[in-house]
Amino acid sequence: MQEVKILGIETSCDETAASIVKNGKDIMSNVVNSQIKIHQAFGGVVPEVASRRHIENIALVVDTAFKEAGLSYEDIDAVAVTNRPGLIGALLVGVSFAKGFAYGLNKPLIAVNHLYGHIYANFLEHSDIRFPAVCLVVSGGHTSLLVMKGTEEYELIGETLDDAAGEAFDKVARFMNLGYPGGPAIQKAAEKGQAGKYSLPRVFLDRDDFDFSFSGLKTAAMNLWNKLNRKGEADVYDMAAEFQAALVEVLAEKTVRAAKKYNAQSVMLAGGVAANSELRRVVKQKADKLGLPLYYPSLKLCTDNAAMIAGSAYHRYLKQDFAPLNLNAYATMSIL
Amino acid sequence: MLVLAVDSATPVAGVAVLNRDKVLYEEFCNYKKTHSETLLPMIDRALKVCECTLDDITALAVTIGPGSFTGLRIGMGTVKGLSLASGKPVVTISTLDMLAANALYAEDLLIVPVLDARKNEVYSAIYEFHGIMQKIVPEKTWGTEELVLKIEEEKKSLGKKGVIMLGDGFYPYEDYWRNMFGENMFVPPPHLMLPRAAAMGVWAFDKIEKEDFADIWTLSPVYLRLSEAEYRLRRGEL
Ligand SMILES: [Zn+2]
Repeated sequence: MQEVKILGIETSCDETAASIVKNGKDIMSNVVNSQIKIHQAFGGVVPEVASRRHIENIALVVDTAFKEAGLSYEDIDAVAVTNRPGLIGALLVGVSFAKGFAYGLNKPLIAVNHLYGHIYANFLEHSDIRFPAVCLVVSGGHTSLLVMKGTEEYELIGETLDDAAGEAFDKVARFMNLGYPGGPAIQKAAEKGQAGKYSLPRVFLDRDDFDFSFSGLKTAAMNLWNKLNRKGEADVYDMAAEFQAALVEVLAEKTVRAAKKYNAQSVMLAGGVAANSELRRVVKQKADKLGLPLYYPSLKLCTDNAAMIAGSAYHRYLKQDFAPLNLNAYATMSIL
Repeated sequence: MLVLAVDSATPVAGVAVLNRDKVLYEEFCNYKKTHSETLLPMIDRALKVCECTLDDITALAVTIGPGSFTGLRIGMGTVKGLSLASGKPVVTISTLDMLAANALYAEDLLIVPVLDARKNEVYSAIYEFHGIMQKIVPEKTWGTEELVLKIEEEKKSLGKKGVIMLGDGFYPYEDYWRNMFGENMFVPPPHLMLPRAAAMGVWAFDKIEKEDFADIWTLSPVYLRLSEAEYRLRRGEL
């Protein structure tokens, strides 16, 4: 069998990442240069700061991916790059570099949708996923529900109308002084508290569509937190637990409802917030009741990485579905 | 010695293939299309027309700044990719040096390239030509009034009869410059007003001969300005 090795490049947010994946499956290297420490000072990702770090680090990150894979530049068959959606200035660094690198090597270029990359992280690690499958992609940048009819066939059935779930975690963690990034910080605090002591709304759970909204939950949490603080009754752990429970409940319930409606054979989680253990636990519980298997990537492949980009480009390579020299980057774009 | 020069620091995208005494090809685009779409096709055309590949190039030249943050990164990202793949070295050229080279031989005048930095500011430096082009005031971000005062001071001390201003930072403050300098200000015709990739050769060949190459592992644009969030952090607003 012919071996296809693809270099993936990912710069859509605050990770400068490069990876080489063989045949859409074997991760030969997976380099992620995280900027979390830099953005911590700002309490969130600053697009211009992220772009500046990307342009500084990109060549070294890509070269390291080759060294770790034990390959020379000439050994790859194609260059894949995230070109949407994400922070436009950040995306443009990866796209410009990838185009120059592919052109210089005389190798084809493949454009990858970041969201699809997140979903594909599941196929890197699981080979028994049956279709149709419902996939919840949830991170600091996105909250989307998709129905997958095959590895490459997917349809968007719902998404957040305002903040992404990870963004809500970040903002709430910030006003509760729990630090950045908010997801892990709130999860940790929630472990010491109890949900239900306070009461926050389960937004949109009464609607039978698959859209989400988290900005109302964020505001409700902020107001409640201020009120409790004025009374001197604020318990940071119980508050974190209730906020996490409110957010997780809506994500999990809508995902499982979608699985029922579309006769799914599997349920999948993807994206940085898929690393949240409470989300995994609640979705698993609900999926178990329907007798459906739940899949999610290992922690390293949940957060932004380039292995998911290199891996997901494999079938595009086989179809010779290559990007032109004038490939651009786009901040937003429908998942299809 | 063949150089591929690439610039997307300002609203202009430019690509040139040149050697020391000959410009073989030059493309200049000041039509509103994103650099990320136009730049690599321009490079591809330049090399094809000159019947060469990156293998035939001695070095790549790219503008290091100042200019549009995103524009600078598109040019530098592309050139870093080309350089890593081909193993060809990179020389960096200041956008202001490159612009000043449009006014060679203006011996009687101070040469002042200005790039629009918005907020009533420009990125600028002051040059004089005396057989060679020399930067006499280093580049930084200037308030327009502050720059005028500096120009007047240098004009007096060097006995220049006027100033030649060029670059996209001229237009937003045109009335102001005209008011301040009156008939002692000269503005080049359109073909010399904005950055020309071929003009990078004026500086690039000396750098190549001295092997003054950039370290692409750490190379970053010279922005001459922090990001908005960094200013706020410094002022203690975050
Ligand atoms: Zn992501």
